[in-house]
Order: sequence, then C-alpha cells, then structure tokens
Amino acid sequence: MDTILAMLTIFTQPELLVLVGVGTFAGIYIGAIPGLSVTMAVSILISFTFSWDVYPAISLMVGIYMGGVYGGSRTAILLNIPGAPSAIATAMDGYPMAKRGEAGQAIGVTTVMSFFGGLIGILVLALAAPFVSDFALTFQPRDYMLLAVLGILLVGSLSSGSLVKGIFAGALGIAIGAVGRDPLTFTERFTFDLQIMEGGISFIAVMIGMFGVSEALLQLQNVGMKAVRQKISKIVPSFGTIRKYLPLSLQTSSIGVIIGALPGTGGDIAALMAYDHAKRVTKNPERPFGEGAMEGLVAPETANNAAVGGAFIPMMTLGIPGDAVTAIMIGALFIHGLNPGPMLMIDQPDMFWFIVGALLTANVFMLIFGLTGIKIFTKIVEMPRSVIIPLILLLSIVGAYAVNNSISDVYWMLGFGVFGYFMRHYGYPLGPVILGVILSRLLDDNWRRAIISEREDLGRFFEGIFTSPLSLVLFVAVILIFVSQTPLWMSMKRRVFGKATS
Amino acid sequence: MDPDFRGDSDHHDGTSDATPGGYTEQRRPGELGFAIFLSVASLFLLYSAYGISGFEALSAPGAVPMATTLVMAVAALVVTARTARFPLVPTETLGKDILPPLVLVFIGFLILFGLLLKPLGFVPTAAIFLVVSVKLLARKGWGYTFAVALGSLVIIWIVFRVIFTVLLPAGILPEAEFIQFFRNLVSGGAS
Amino acid sequence: MSRKLIGALVAFGLGATVASAQDYPAKEIQGIIQWGAGGSTDTVMRSVTPHAEEVLGGTVVLQNMTGAVGAIALNHVAGSDADGYTLLMGAENPLLYKVMGLGDKDYSEFTPINILARGTPILVANNEAPFDDYAGMMEYIANNPGELRIGSTGPGGVPSVITAMMDTVEGKLDVTAVPYDGDGPALTALQGGAIDVMPAVLGASIEGIRAGSMKPLAIFDVAQNAKLPDVPLVTSFNEGYNTYLPWGPFFGVFAPKGTPDDIVAKLGEAYAAGAAHPDFVELMDNRGFTMMGISGAEAEDFLAKWQQGTAWLLQDAGLTKASPEDFGIARPGE
Repeated sequence: MDTILAMLTIFTQPELLVLVGVGTFAGIYIGAIPGLSVTMAVSILISFTFSWDVYPAISLMVGIYMGGVYGGSRTAILLNIPGAPSAIATAMDGYPMAKRGEAGQAIGVTTVMSFFGGLIGILVLALAAPFVSDFALTFQPRDYMLLAVLGILLVGSLSSGSLVKGIFAGALGIAIGAVGRDPLTFTERFTFDLQIMEGGISFIAVMIGMFGVSEALLQLQNVGMKAVRQKISKIVPSFGTIRKYLPLSLQTSSIGVIIGALPGTGGDIAALMAYDHAKRVTKNPERPFGEGAMEGLVAPETANNAAVGGAFIPMMTLGIPGDAVTAIMIGALFIHGLNPGPMLMIDQPDMFWFIVGALLTANVFMLIFGLTGIKIFTKIVEMPRSVIIPLILLLSIVGAYAVNNSISDVYWMLGFGVFGYFMRHYGYPLGPVILGVILSRLLDDNWRRAIISEREDLGRFFEGIFTSPLSLVLFVAVILIFVSQTPLWMSMKRRVFGKATS
Repeated sequence: MDPDFRGDSDHHDGTSDATPGGYTEQRRPGELGFAIFLSVASLFLLYSAYGISGFEALSAPGAVPMATTLVMAVAALVVTARTARFPLVPTETLGKDILPPLVLVFIGFLILFGLLLKPLGFVPTAAIFLVVSVKLLARKGWGYTFAVALGSLVIIWIVFRVIFTVLLPAGILPEAEFIQFFRNLVSGGAS
Repeated sequence: MSRKLIGALVAFGLGATVASAQDYPAKEIQGIIQWGAGGSTDTVMRSVTPHAEEVLGGTVVLQNMTGAVGAIALNHVAGSDADGYTLLMGAENPLLYKVMGLGDKDYSEFTPINILARGTPILVANNEAPFDDYAGMMEYIANNPGELRIGSTGPGGVPSVITAMMDTVEGKLDVTAVPYDGDGPALTALQGGAIDVMPAVLGASIEGIRAGSMKPLAIFDVAQNAKLPDVPLVTSFNEGYNTYLPWGPFFGVFAPKGTPDDIVAKLGEAYAAGAAHPDFVELMDNRGFTMMGISGAEAEDFLAKWQQGTAWLLQDAGLTKASPEDFGIARPGE
C-alpha cells in the first residue's frame, strides 16, 4: 500500500508532474543536439536545483534523462548525425528511411519502441532490482573484458562493405581511445610529448566529427538538390506492426537492462549489441539492414531506453552508479541530504518508489511529446541545404567544445571530420571506429586488471574463465561469434549443409 | 549480382554509414593513396605503441595499443594490396568527385575557424563563418544572408552560453560583463 | 584596437565598471573542477559554492575539466589571468604532480582561498575475505605471498599513499595491486570479489559498511571516528603509523598566484562562510569528512607540510619518478 502511495506521489503534487514533463521535453531537445549531453544537463541542474526539495529536483533530472536518451535518435534519423552515442546504431537504418521520405514513420516506430523498452527497463527495476544488482556485481574484470571482446566482434555486422576495412576502422577506434595518459598507470600513450595530447581524445568529439562534419562536407556536393519531401502520414505505427516486433523488442530490451545495470557499460554499448542481435535473429527483413530495415530501428531504441531503468538498478540498491548520469544523480541525492547506498532502499523505500513513479511518468511523457511535434522536426530535413550545412558545421564545433571546455577537442573534431569524409568516399565504415573508441577502455583496463589479478599468469587466467559459469558462457559466445564470421566456417557450412539442401 | 555491391548512384557517395561508399571491384581516384597513407600511419603508430612499454608485461600499458596497431597495420596493408590490383573507376576524377572546389573551400573555412576561435572569440568567428558560407551556398541577397546567419547564431549562443553556461572563448567581446549586466537587470527588477 | 579598450568601452556603455575590487565580482566567475561530474570533488564543490555565492553576491559557473589526473584543469587555471575570475576547485593530488612526473606545476602557483575539508582513509575488505581485522590481514599476507589483491587508483592516489605507508611501517608487503579509475569503481569491484582489500576514503565506503556489504579493517587516523566508533585505529595494531598520521586527501578552492589581495580576501570570506553553513557542515559530517575551513598562511603551511610528508613517503617507497629534492621539497623534520 505504502509502495503504491509512494509511486503515486508524483500525481498528488501537480508541480512534480509538470517538472517531469518539462524535463522530458527539454531532454528530447538536449538529446537531439550533438554535443549537448544528458550528463552535462543533469550536472548543471545540480547547482540549479540546489535550494529545491529533493523530489522536484529528482523529477526534473529523471525527465531529462529519459527524454535525452530517446532524443538522440531524432538527429540520427533526420540528419545521419547521432545526437548521443547511444543513437549511433539508430542512424544506420533510420537515415536511409529519411532519405526515402519515411522520416515520420521512422520516428513513429522509434518513439513507440523507445517507450516499450523504457517500460521493460522500469519494470525490471521495480520488480527485480536486488537480483539484477547481485548479478551485476558478480561480473569480474575478465567478464568485462570478454564483454568488450564480444562488442568488438560486432565490427563484422557493422561493416557491410569490406570486412578488412571494418577491422581497420575498429582497431583505429581502440587506438584512439588509448591516446593520452593511461588512466591506470599515468604512462603517456601516443602523446608524442605534446601537452594537448595528454588529456586524450574525447570520443564525443570523434563522433561529432566523423558523423557531423563529414556528413556536412558530403552534402556540399548536393547543395543544389531539392530535399526529399517527407511523407508525414502513418506516423503512429499500427498495432500489427508493434505486435510483429514484440518478440524482438523483448529480447533487445533484456540486453538493454543487463548492459545498463552493469557499472561501466551503458546505453551506447547496449544499443550496438542489440542492433547486432537483431541482425542475427532476423531471417528475412522486409528491407536489408542498412537500407531502412525496421528491425534496425527497433533493436537499438528499445535497448537504450531499457538501459535507463537498468542504470538505476545498482544506483538504488547499492549506491553504485550504472552510468555517468546516475553517478551525478547519486551526487544530487547526497547534496539533498540523503545517503545513497545499500541502506537507502531499507531506510527510505519511498525514494525508490518515487523514482520508479517518476520514470514511468517520464516514459509516458516521452511517448506523448515524441508522437506530437514530429511534423516540425521533419521540417528540419526539408530546410534548404545551403542553410543547414553551415549550421551543422557550427553546431559540431560548439558541441565538441562543450564536452570538456577544450579547444583541442575542436581541432580533433575537425580533423576526424575531414578524415571521416575520405573514409566514407573510399568505403571505410565509420560505425566500427566509434565502437572501438567506446570499448577501448573497457577492453584495455579490464584485460590489465584481469591479468594483474592473476599475477601475469595466462594459465591462471584461463583457469579462472573455465571455472566461472558466467565467464565460460561469455567465452563460448565469443568463440561462436568469432568462428561464425570467419571464412573457414562459411565454406564448411556450405559443404555440410549445401549438399543437403540442393 | 553481388549483394555487397554499393556502386550505384545512390550509394557510392557514402552518405549512409551502414552502406559505405566505394566500389567493391574498382578503385576510386585517390583511394590507393589513402590506403598507403593508412598503412604508413599504422606502422608508425605500431612503432610508437612499442615505445610505450615494449614487451614488458602482459598487463603493461602498451600491450593493448601494440595489439591494436598491429591489427591496423595488417588490415591497412591488406587493403592497400587489394586496392592496388583493382582498375581505376573510369568516369571519376579526384577534382570532380572526391575533392571538388567547394569541399576544399569549406575545409579551408573550418581550418580558419579553428585558428581564429581563440584569439577572436566564438561570436565574431561564428558570425563571419555563417554569413560567408550561407552567402556562398544560397546565393541570395545580403538581407536574407544576415537574417538567417545572425538569427541562428543568437539561438545557438543563448542555448550554449546562457542556458548551458558553456564558456565559449570570449575573445574580443566582453561577454561575461554583458551577461552580468542582464543578470543584474533581472535581479534588480525582481527585488 | 586593443582587446582591453574595447572591453572597457562596451562595459562602460553598459554602465558597469571594470575589475576594481570594490565591484568584484563584476561578471561571472569560472570555477574549474579538476574531476568529472559526480565525483566527490565535484559534489563537494557544487554543494559549497551556492552558499559562497550568497555572500559573494555574484555567480560562480562551475565547469568540469577532466583529463591527465586533473593536470589539464590545473594548467588551464594557472595560465589564466590572475583577476579572480578563474578559480580552481581541486583536490590533494596536484601536490604530487612534480614527483610523479605528471606536470611541472602544483599549488605553489596558486593562492589557497579555502581548504574546505579532509577525508579519513579506511581499510575495507570484501565480506568473504579470510580475515576480520588488520592483524589477520597481515598474517594472511605473510602466509600467502602475492595472493592478496589490493585495490589502487594509480600512482599518487590515496590507496597508493596508504600502501606506501604500510610498506614503510610494516616492511615491504607482497600483495597484488589492481588498478581502478577511482575509489567508486574499486569499491564496486571489492563487493563483487574482484579485489580483497581497498584503502578508501571513509566517505566513499561508509554506506557500504553500515549496510554490511563490506567489512572495515582499520581506520587510518589517530583519533577514534565518531561515525564508526567500533572500528579500531590502525595505530592500535602498530604504533609506527603515528609518524605519518593524521593524513588524508582534501578539497580546496584556489586562485592563481598574483590575484589582488582584496579579491582573495573577498573570496576567502565567501568560501569561509560557505564552508561554515550548517547545511554544508551536516552534509560533510554525514559523509565522514573532517571540516577544516582554513585559509591564508595556515593553509599555505598545511599544503607545504602535506606535500613534504607525502612526497617523501612515496619517495622512500620507491614510487616516485623524480626525487622531491629536485623540486626543493625538504624531507619532513629537516
């Protein structure tokens, strides 16, 4: 009974409801603009809401978080520039749809599926938080490392052109992620004794450059071309469509929750893994992946919104942040006089249920704001290219600067923009570069932690993998995916199954 | 037909990441040069990664960088060898399809933007950039150009500088004093 | 036309006057936080600054500038104008940049505005660890060389100093140090059993201890802690620690050296009032931090002593890249 009351707190106080709504609305736009991140918005809100009570402050933050994760898909679909890293996979099939004039439909499906994913995440948070957080804690450095390897193998499904070029791009990404002072030993890596290299290269700057600037430079060649007219009927997907993708979205939402709940991995990795999963399980997509497959939108969007609920799981049960945003929220709770930690659930269960309630409300607001206002958004793509190209370039510059108030990030962003322009022309996929940067530290740090823990002994390292069920499952998954992508397996499959079927 | 074939007019420009540009069996102008550049750069990075900690330990800070740059170098060399064997696309030239003058001009603009950002400050640099590039691309009257360029700059400035308090380089404009003036005005009006 | 002249003209036009201490702050002040959003430095600074703003009558815009263990932020503030409009919100580690080879600048380029508070180190262990106190751990290390996995946060971090202290007092310990990005991730790993023991700051581990998800072994302080009265002091196991304790990481607000005295005084007053605000005191107390609120010569003195003690401790443990002597940091007691 108390539980339900706490969940409903938000409805008994109209101001809280308004704050969640305002937060969600603002979040969608913050998420949509590359360079403005939810992390940034929430940390500014800490000072802004300093004198407020804790409930209104949290309402606003939860709204922004939920809206922001979803908002990243907007620019990914409309401009091929992901507003946030978790929307990279969304661009792969969303943008081809916009090019066919189906942006409205793409946004409609994205919105409904984000809502669905968000809902699953919240349900798991509400019903199973303690179990999931216990499970998340059992991940050892070697498991994180295996997870990173699993992620890196996604290169195969992210590079539909030449696999070798994809592998190059992925490795390049990992190397970019290593630039700067190594966070574990402070050794300089790839810095060439230059001071501006010491801080490393912000991966948001790489992403904005590769997707934003290179896209704008490419568009210069079509400056005179008329923009594609967008059909804005059929925005809300039919019930049949939703039912068709229900099984897939359930699977990808589960991926989202688990990856979101793991401290150190978040919505960006979840979305890419979900995209890969969709590509594996979808036997006959209506359109090939990469050319506007609906599954390619459903999977990442359900996963990254499910990761929101997931990220709250370790935060609420253990006081451990599931990602950067929840880390700041922990700080906010602490400033408002609460003590986030394992005791929070026991001392103040109301807070837990209030957050669940606020998340649910934000999720509904996201659906409402997402499905209205699409018309105005699609107008962006219909704007003359002569205006939109300079604006994209300017936004990319401001966005790259805003990440860390650093002018060297702007130089990196521009450099990678021009580099990405050539990569696009010569058939090198950009997705694996970003994948590599995202996974670089997860792989590097955890590999080293794992091998240090086993005192540099590879034998003990493998013994560890084979004696832990979790590590073993991950290891087997890595091997299976790896083998299934190598040419040897393909030819074996053809020999064995080919004769039987023909 | 080869299902991976991306050489149609819709795709070879590489506008979608999942369907990158390029041809599968032909090479575009400059592609070989790019591949050679990548190979040389990868080999150099491999050397640099070796310099981090050598073969000190499996857990050394240079272990993963060495492994990744090795993969980069091998992949780049394979790509170079393959590309070298393909015939050139007969209908394309470097100056027309890869680096047309307009793209070169804009790359120049971006470099200038980067150089001027710090000394001149964000607002003046961005204003000049927007006015010049909108004028160049839209080829409409000065009135239209200024309205579009400065209008959007004001919105971007308000969102980033005022709402998100991103401290963009102020340069020659005393932005902070300006904002404080309005802040005083607002708080003075309120009290 | 010079930049200053235009600035003066525009400012004059707006009816404001330029940089005179009476009118300070005439514009918003930038507060550069050395560490990322959500970290303890970030949280402390974001909770004290609004109180200080009230006294100051101006706005302090807080920005996180991360990278190279905080050296990027430090160099940025050190290189900006000493006009009181750029402040550094920092922690203890810049005092070790020189000896750790992380940079050539430290707080000697700054005037301390206020050293807000200090943390107390505590040694915590995973619940499954086969020992329950400090003495048991020492015995375990002696019987199982190299088997104990102890969390660390890189050279110069709190755990590395505590480990150096243990090496100095107990003799070199044969343990395996596993590096993490900060004490948050390391304590998470501790609860998952990836490491056995972690020297952490009390504030970061106190909730975990209260909930019983990790066990405290010893507090590294000379006086019993009011928050955890039952946890033994490390000095009760080995008197040798008295030489080095009390020791702890701290948080402070700094202005570049050369900032006009009246501006430093005004800022000092504001942050002193902020640090004394009951809300802030309660918040820090809840997290197990010890309030300091010192400034001026007292703060300079504290910084110098801290640097001497810690730099030489690390030097003697063989963890430094360069000797403190090279930078004129004298051995304590000399």
